[in-house]
Amino acid sequence: MVTYERWVAMVRAAAGQVRASQDLLSNLDSHGGDGDHGTTMVRAMNCIEQAVEAEQSSSIPALLRAIGWAVMGVDGGATGPLFGTFFMSMSDAAPGDAALDARGLAAAFTAGLAGVQKRTRAQVGDKTMLDALVPAVEAAAAAADGGGSVEDVLRSAFEAARAGAERTSALQARFGRAKNIGEKSIGQPDAGATSVSLLFKGFLEGVRSHA
Amino acid sequence: MAMKKFINDPDNLVNELLAGFVLAHANKVALAGNKLVVRTHPKAASKVAVVTLGGSGHEPALSGFVGEGMLDISVPGEIFAAPGPPRVFEALKLAHRDAGVLLVVLNHEGDVMTAGIAMEMAEKEGYKVKQVLTHDDISVPSRQDPRDRRGLVGCFPVIKVAGAAAEQGKSLDECLAIAERMERNMATLAVAVTGATHPSTGSVIAEVPEADMIVGMGQHGEAGGGQQPLKSADETAAIMIDALCNDLGAKAGDRLLVMINGVGSTTLMEQYLVLNGVKKALDAKGIVLARAIAGEFLTVQEMGGFQMFAAKMDDELLALWDAPCNTPALVVK
Repeated sequence: MVTYERWVAMVRAAAGQVRASQDLLSNLDSHGGDGDHGTTMVRAMNCIEQAVEAEQSSSIPALLRAIGWAVMGVDGGATGPLFGTFFMSMSDAAPGDAALDARGLAAAFTAGLAGVQKRTRAQVGDKTMLDALVPAVEAAAAAADGGGSVEDVLRSAFEAARAGAERTSALQARFGRAKNIGEKSIGQPDAGATSVSLLFKGFLEGVRSHA
Repeated sequence: MAMKKFINDPDNLVNELLAGFVLAHANKVALAGNKLVVRTHPKAASKVAVVTLGGSGHEPALSGFVGEGMLDISVPGEIFAAPGPPRVFEALKLAHRDAGVLLVVLNHEGDVMTAGIAMEMAEKEGYKVKQVLTHDDISVPSRQDPRDRRGLVGCFPVIKVAGAAAEQGKSLDECLAIAERMERNMATLAVAVTGATHPSTGSVIAEVPEADMIVGMGQHGEAGGGQQPLKSADETAAIMIDALCNDLGAKAGDRLLVMINGVGSTTLMEQYLVLNGVKKALDAKGIVLARAIAGEFLTVQEMGGFQMFAAKMDDELLALWDAPCNTPALVVK
């Protein structure tokens, strides 16, 4: 089950993963973007950790909402609203204060993705964060439907996110600033998709460390 | 080439630039709440408030448009990055009044998302808020589907006419209708001759080959022919005003407002030469240059080049453009 404490461990580990990859994310973004994705994501992770510290309730929806709102406050263009919406939409779907089982976790991810898709016209194949997020959430749902454990769900999600992020190397950007460089955007993975992969890597690590 | 800029801590850049900005224009603008730029002398609460949001690093835009006759509040984001919804909501809360609030949003992914989320929150609180989206960049061809057209310097005239209407006591619906009419009748095309660096990351923004210029720095660069050898002021002016007139469907007798907006290192001298070239090209077409303005309003650091803006004006839009204002970026008496 994913208890409040496990959620805290998951998001803290995700923050650690992003922080360790700050330079990589900025380098990926400097190719077509303006090189600030790593800085922005680290600022978002700092906001998450502050929100986790400040959260007084032991309510999972309240925690996810506080995290989402904190990420939205990061002032980093589309990054804050997109990643923030993912957490806030998960919060809307999380049932009361009860811990989530594997299906509940997958359902929360599905709700998070639906929220993100309401905010952007980007589709899979456009070389954005959705190229990692969509397969990750689908893999999580499939693992839960197949009777997998919480750890199975997160492992499937991470593997799909990583593969999705890697596939963006071959894609031409059709969204965000990178679309302005056209074919030159081919050859490196998308920074946002890479961030999604790091988040899920952290979620998995957090759940394993807080069994 | 290494970045040569006078900065301190890249992470504190926006705070420091805002502090200096309000020092330089203390009689017009002040800081409030979480980095909101407001008027030093607020306008009567009975009048519609006009608010905008957008990335920093484009000074004097957008906070330079705060002041009498234009904006009430601007919400500056990080360098080239929109602010998040919490601060935009804070601005809407601060601006909230019975007369209503008009939110001017430039069409860029982050800005649109942030505005959408903040608007939803404001509506939940029962605030009266309407939004106008500016998408004036014609380097993306379709006027029928403007969703891919970016918001460039056209936000400035939209803010000017909407702000003047609000100052005159017009209703929110009237202010919105005026802003939308300006928006529908305007077009902008950018040309770049040299690139720029991101002041906090040092990343290169847009590289332009030594002997070239790039007209229409958008996705495809169709309008204006994209990358080509650098041309004279008159030739460049003619290429760009032709593209703008085509996009606007401007014909003989139409009255245009034209703006040459220097984006960084292109001199005012060059901007005047280009404007003069525009006049000659318009004269040849029988189109009236009703109003003209040149200068730096929305910049992109040290990038070389300019944005050429043109709009078809009617009597009311011209009167609102001519109405008094007193802001850091523009004073009309």
